[in-house]
Amino acid sequence: MLELLATHYAYALMFVLIAIGLYMIIANQNLVKKVIGVSLFQTAIFLFFISMAYVEGGSAPIVPADETPGELVVASPLPQVIVLTAIVVSIALTAVALSLVMRIYAEYGTLREDTLTEVRADE
Amino acid sequence: MSALAYALVAFVLATAIATALFRDVLSTIVVFGAYSLGMAILYTYLLAPDVAMTEAAIGAGVTTVLLLLTIARTTRPSPDQLFERLDVPAVVAVGAFLLVAGTQVLPEMWAVGDPTAPVWSNAEVSQYYIQNTYADTHAQNAVTAVLAAYRGFDTFGEAVVVFAAGVAVLLVLKREVFV
Repeated sequence: MLELLATHYAYALMFVLIAIGLYMIIANQNLVKKVIGVSLFQTAIFLFFISMAYVEGGSAPIVPADETPGELVVASPLPQVIVLTAIVVSIALTAVALSLVMRIYAEYGTLREDTLTEVRADE
Repeated sequence: MSALAYALVAFVLATAIATALFRDVLSTIVVFGAYSLGMAILYTYLLAPDVAMTEAAIGAGVTTVLLLLTIARTTRPSPDQLFERLDVPAVVAVGAFLLVAGTQVLPEMWAVGDPTAPVWSNAEVSQYYIQNTYADTHAQNAVTAVLAAYRGFDTFGEAVVVFAAGVAVLLVLKREVFV
């Protein structure tokens, strides 16, 4: 088990971060903290892609100025590009979620999920 | 795995748990900024400096500012205690997920950094881009080459997503301009 954790450390960390993000989405009553939970979940997925691209003893994906470079030990650029795109999409998602949170506060005067459920039930 | 990797994993884990458990929203946001920064350093360790820079600027920078703006415009409940009470059913559900993932999925994955893993060693995909980036695009940074040359249209689509999000924010907040 310990050996598995040592060789798969990034994937193990990814699963634990997904669990923490899920916990925040389910258990935290404050809407802002729920949005932070979603954001944390996303960074766990980014870590998954980055650790797939990683190669032991390699270097960052910079290639020499040579049309036939031969054997190169550099990280795979493709998962890294996907993550770059996903980070920008995640900030767009966070911005929309937080603006919705601001509207909810303007409408109901609370950010707590339990209070919101009560207020909505009374209507 | 080196001592640096152990330290980074421990830091990221500690800040993530603190993010979940702090009751005060402002403390949560600050700790989450530290988490993003730790994550950026971990990305650098995993040979992704371009992603690390983006994460540091957007994750630790812009997200923190947006979150702070939100609690400044809404409310920050004054906490009576330092930590949240643990929600037992949620802990059980999340623990079940971790158990299945840890015992069933994790042993089936390739080791981190294994050069024989298909993601890296695949001759038609990853190795094609590594070998032909300079010949095809004359850019030495393979990430830039894929982002702006091979997958330029995807990057354009990403800009459309950001535009759509900006329009959505203006609509939701019933405003005509930002600020």
